[in-house]
Amino acid sequence: MSEKQGLKDFISRLLLLDLVKGLIVTLKYHNAALVQKRGATGQGDDPLKGIYTKQYPKERPIVAERFRGAPRLNNDPETGETLCIACNLCALACPEDCINVGSENREVMEGGKLKKKKVLTVYTFDTSRCMFCNLCSEACPTDCVELTQNFELASYTRIGAMWDREDLEGGRAIKQYTS
Amino acid sequence: MTNLLMQIAGPAGWLRSVLPQSISDSVVYDVIWPLIQIAVALFIVMTLVAYLTLAERKISAWIQSRMGPMRVGPWGLLQPAADGLKLLIKEDIIPLLADKAVFTIAPIVSMVAAITVLVIIPYGAGWAPITDVNIALLFILAFSSVGTLGIILGGWASNSKYPLLGALRSSAQMISYEVAMGLALIGPLMWSKTLSMVGIVNAQNGDHIWYVFYQPLGFLIYFVCALAETNRAPFDLPEAESELTGGFHTEYSGFRFSLYFIAEYAAMFTVSAIAVTVFLGGWDFGGLIGHFLANTHQNVYTVISIIVFFGKVLLLLWAFMWFRWTFPRYRYDQLMDVGWKWLIPASLANIVLTGVWFVIGISIPDGKPFLKNYGTYIAAPGFPAKAYVIGSAFLVTITLTAILLSSINKHSRDFNLRTQRQLQLQKRAERLAEAGNM
Repeated sequence: MSEKQGLKDFISRLLLLDLVKGLIVTLKYHNAALVQKRGATGQGDDPLKGIYTKQYPKERPIVAERFRGAPRLNNDPETGETLCIACNLCALACPEDCINVGSENREVMEGGKLKKKKVLTVYTFDTSRCMFCNLCSEACPTDCVELTQNFELASYTRIGAMWDREDLEGGRAIKQYTS
Repeated sequence: MTNLLMQIAGPAGWLRSVLPQSISDSVVYDVIWPLIQIAVALFIVMTLVAYLTLAERKISAWIQSRMGPMRVGPWGLLQPAADGLKLLIKEDIIPLLADKAVFTIAPIVSMVAAITVLVIIPYGAGWAPITDVNIALLFILAFSSVGTLGIILGGWASNSKYPLLGALRSSAQMISYEVAMGLALIGPLMWSKTLSMVGIVNAQNGDHIWYVFYQPLGFLIYFVCALAETNRAPFDLPEAESELTGGFHTEYSGFRFSLYFIAEYAAMFTVSAIAVTVFLGGWDFGGLIGHFLANTHQNVYTVISIIVFFGKVLLLLWAFMWFRWTFPRYRYDQLMDVGWKWLIPASLANIVLTGVWFVIGISIPDGKPFLKNYGTYIAAPGFPAKAYVIGSAFLVTITLTAILLSSINKHSRDFNLRTQRQLQLQKRAERLAEAGNM
């Protein structure tokens, strides 16, 4: 031994206090997990307050406030028509080129007059290439395209990662495994 | 025959009255009834073993603030059935260059060794023990070594490097820890004067004490050795996942693997049962209720004693799991250090010191000896005698052993690598200083 051992050190080695300390720590976690009710803990809480994990398909995790997930195209809440003006700014802003905006010029009645207007026809969003940087949403002049908190983007096929206009406006129906 | 009178009072007697008289008494008491007992014990212990795997996962989950298996059945209670089914229908692979015969036999050897021992465990009072062998403890120690033989055979027969390393480690571990385990059990045997499991429990019952109080050091040594014998963490070197992939069972799959798995958990049950029998009073639950029931309601007493026995065993098994998920694995040299430099000297010192207290206690107060020899066992009746034995065991034996151990290990290497390094640096500095002086 390089350093001299005191009596305190000797006693702690004799009674294996370090081992007991470790056992007490694990016992605390063990009892906390047994005693505490599920769902008592929120995000980033002290794990000693109970069970830290979530039973995922059964329990929905609460994602962070600024989490960015599945894209969405917003409709005008009053008229129910899309807010998209087919300006293509989102597609230009996208660093991954995963947005494709298709439009055509149509004659639309507006305020009693016949007007020529650019109308959205196709909008596809490739979630397999998207890196959720939110640049499309920031570029959008009408707050139409937006990244939501939905994180369930998995699909059985590659083509399933392509979200068309219907998916983007209405959201995808996801099979919920509850049992 | 344990005790014919007790048997006649219990379910065996009922069996006798139900079965036709053409079957002789000896057939009923020595063949049919033991077979029923064996079947029931095997069923209970195997179910227990299956649920131990679930308990292991659950306890590890709780300690890590998780929930563990929750999907199969309520709270994952059907998980063992799902696991068993999965293992049964898995492909059974035998490596091309493996020694096929030995590879096939090895898990069976482990399994048989683990299960055979169940026959001599005293599950309860009265009619509960299956048999009462007068060399029971020796039998158990011998068979637990045979279990290790199964591991060594399996590791060797796999013809693969990781299993072989695991098997070598296992044999080294067996040699180091079997000795200390056997020596730790000698302390209680001095008091009970018998190797029979039922006799040991009865001795503790008659003395109204658990031998863990007479032999705290012995219990500690036994517990550590039991962890090592059953390849449990922190002594799970034969199957160290991070070093040897799967250890001795790397090449095993499907049902052969599950045989090893069951054998490991059955061995855990066995060593816990021995610890309970020898150190924790077996099925004894003492108190006035116990004595009242023992005298009036024999069968109720026996059933409660069985429950108490299993409760104690489960508590110890829980401690096994608790230890596993608390302590990191020992290094190989540390394992040898603990075995040879600490546990074996400690168990020897324990035997010597117990003997010394024994001789002093039985001879010194002239006319009125402290300790009494009741023929079948030796007891310390009365409070002063018990205080003397317990006090000497806890205070003097442990302190003296600690002094002995620290003096033995004074010049051995420290476990702490940093301390080792510091020591080397210091020696180097001394050498340099000497060279400078010259």
